[in-house]
Formats: sequence, C-alpha cells, structure tokens
Amino acid sequence: MGERDVVAVGAEADWLHLCSAAELIEGRSRGFDPGGNGCDTLFLLRWQGELRAWRNACPHINGAPMAWRRDAYMNAAGSHIACHAHGALFDPATGLCVQGPCLGQSLQPLALKVDACGEVHVQRHGM
Amino acid sequence: MNIVGLDALVFGVDDIEGCAQYLSDYGCRPVGVTAAGGRFEAEDGTAVVLARSDDPALPKAPGAGCLLRKTVFGVADAATLEAIAAELGRDREVRRLPDGSLESVDDFGFALGFQLTVRQPVTRLGEFSNAPGSPLQRAANQLAVAPLQGPIQPRTLSHIVYFVPDTAKAEAFYVKRLGFRVTDRFTGVGPFLQPAGTLDHHTHFLIPAPPHMTGVEHFTFHFGGPTEVLRNGWNFVEKGYQAFWGPGRHLLGSNWFWYFNSPLACHLEMDADMDLHDATWQPRSVPLGADNSQAFLLRHRGKWLPGPGTPEQGDYA
Repeated sequence: MGERDVVAVGAEADWLHLCSAAELIEGRSRGFDPGGNGCDTLFLLRWQGELRAWRNACPHINGAPMAWRRDAYMNAAGSHIACHAHGALFDPATGLCVQGPCLGQSLQPLALKVDACGEVHVQRHGM
Repeated sequence: MNIVGLDALVFGVDDIEGCAQYLSDYGCRPVGVTAAGGRFEAEDGTAVVLARSDDPALPKAPGAGCLLRKTVFGVADAATLEAIAAELGRDREVRRLPDGSLESVDDFGFALGFQLTVRQPVTRLGEFSNAPGSPLQRAANQLAVAPLQGPIQPRTLSHIVYFVPDTAKAEAFYVKRLGFRVTDRFTGVGPFLQPAGTLDHHTHFLIPAPPHMTGVEHFTFHFGGPTEVLRNGWNFVEKGYQAFWGPGRHLLGSNWFWYFNSPLACHLEMDADMDLHDATWQPRSVPLGADNSQAFLLRHRGKWLPGPGTPEQGDYA
C-alpha cells in the first residue's frame, strides 16, 4: 500500500456519515449519537436552505444537552435554536446566544459536507 | 404566617400541545385542558397551570426568557391571607382576585399568588423497603416492583428554584415578610427556604445570577419514593425526553433527584424522600460543589455485559 492510499483512507475516516440531506426539511433539527453514548452529541439543522451541524453542548455548562425531547432543538416559535435547560436562545445562522445564561457565547459548529449522492457527513475532528 | 407550600406554578407558553404532552408523560393528570391551556395535577390537587403566553390575564414574567408567570402559595386559613395582605400592602399593590385569592409581587418581579390551599390529604403509604429487622415492612405478597400501567402520578408540588440578582435581598423578603425559615445554605450562594406551614426541607432555593437570567432553574413534584422516581424517570427517558442530571440523591434535604430538560425554559425534576425539619433544626452552611450536592449519582449504561455482539475493540472504551 502506497503512502497516497494511506492518506486517502485517513482523510475518509475523518468524516462520519449521518443521513441523507433530503431527510432534513427547512427549520427542523435532528440529533445524532454516533458514539452510542445514550445522548446525542451533535445535531443538524436546515436553516434558510443551508444545513448546519452543531455540537449538542450548551455553553452555559460544558456538555449540557439542549433538546427537551428527541430532535427538539428549536424554540416553540421555530425562530431560534434553544437550550431547554434554561431557555437560552441561539441565532440559528451563527450559533450566537442572544438570550439566556450564556448570552454572547456561541454554539460550537462542526464541519459538514454533502457528497455527490446527497449524503451528509460531519468531520469527526472537533466532536 | 401559615403558608403550607406551593399550590400551583403558572407558565405562559406558545406550544400548549407540546407542553401538555410533556407534563402528562411526566405523570401529572390533565384537568380541563384545551387549546388555551389547563391544569396538570399531582395527587393532592397541586398543579402546573399552562396558559397561552399572550393571555392578558397573566402577570408579567420576572425576566425576558422566563416562562413562569406566577407562583401560587397555598395557605392554611383566611387569617393568614389577611396577614399577608396587610404585610405586603405596606409597600406594594396587593390585588384581590374574584376567586378570593391575593396577587402581588416579590422584590425581583416574581408574581405571587396566595389562596386557601387546594391540597387534599394523601394518605397512601409511601415506599417501604424490607430492611431485615425493621419493624416497618411491606405486607407479605405486596410487590415492590409491580407492573406499571403508565406514568406515575406525583403526590404533590414540592419546590422551585429561582435565579435572582441578589439572594440576600430575596432571602430577606421571604424570611422577614412571609415568615419563611432558612433550613440550610450553600455558602456564598443561597439559602434553602421553608415556609412556616410545612416541615419539608425546602420549597424554595435561591441562586445568584445576573439580572438577565432572573427566572427559574428548576421545579419539581414529590413522588412516593425512590423507586417511583427511578421507574418514572426511566420511562420518561424511553419516551425520548432528555435527562440532564441524575438519578442521584442530594445531601442537603436528602431527596432523590432526576433532572430533565423541558419546554418550560427550566429544568423539571422528579424528587422523593426529602428530609423534614422543625424549628429546632440548626441550619448548615456548606460550600457548593459536587461533593456537597450529591450523595451519589447513577449513570445509565445501555449495555452491561460482554458477550454476543461484543466488538473487536471491546465495549467499554
């Protein structure tokens, strides 16, 4: 096996397949637990057409999970990402907290790509 | 002042249906629920009340992100209502509502209600363990873990925890104006508070926070024992709700706990077996920290034995 092959395998292994992009409709979020930890560690949101991936970790306490039930990461109005520990609200485009204990702090984004087949992958690095 | 405890917590929300499902799955009994809201009751009639956030009858929330609109206390008698009206009327408006209750506000904008308590007596035994030698045991053939038909209804509304900008000032209001006692304290943080009409370790705990956080950290109902907390919490998680902390057992108050995220902009706890204290109790003061917050903490593990299906790399990494 040549060096180029090793590099290619390593780079591919850095991306984690999640789902088909078509499964995410506008304004809806979905959580993922790729490590089988019993708690989602990241979530996807389609917002203004764009898919974004965020760690499921509210900045108010390191690692605090945000949904109130499975896949429910948005506020009732559907206008903001919300942490359902204390109602913190985040700009869904930037991840910036605009209300709540972590005011001014941001969610942590994960690098995301949609491949030629329309499948969503996130970069393991940073999870 | 003979305040016996929390009678109701009123929340103004946008998603009545989602909140109603959440509270029903938690174990509260829906009473008179419509698209405009309704009551979600414990066994003794204490309740969470949902209303639409734009309902003009609701008092203002104490902070921008807080969905709690009113904390309603139950009092033992009409004399207590009159004493509260006289005391709070010295420096703030006290409204008399058509249902006979009082409505006013504390020093940080939390709307308060006072009413003759709705609490009905609950007389069923709580959880008993068959400790060898103990004179109190379950009767023969009485199962500790019987099949469940659905969520377990809590017995009564227990306590609420506020974020306030100044815990000393808030403590002074509840102690000096409403006759609460401090039962314990996290040093430099805040007090556990008990009104005069109950022996429960606390109905309130206060946490200091910047003014933009003024609101609720959590509230909880009492369940009948640790097994009810564990079984009900387990089923709650199985339904897809998100646990935050627990299950475990606190040191101050000794109550079992399991905290969950909620659509009410605060945590909702399930608790059981809280200590009782009378006026002879000397308050403790301990530093806030994990060692003083939990006697133990249990953690879910989906797989618990190696064997068939064990991956090459093992299952315990």
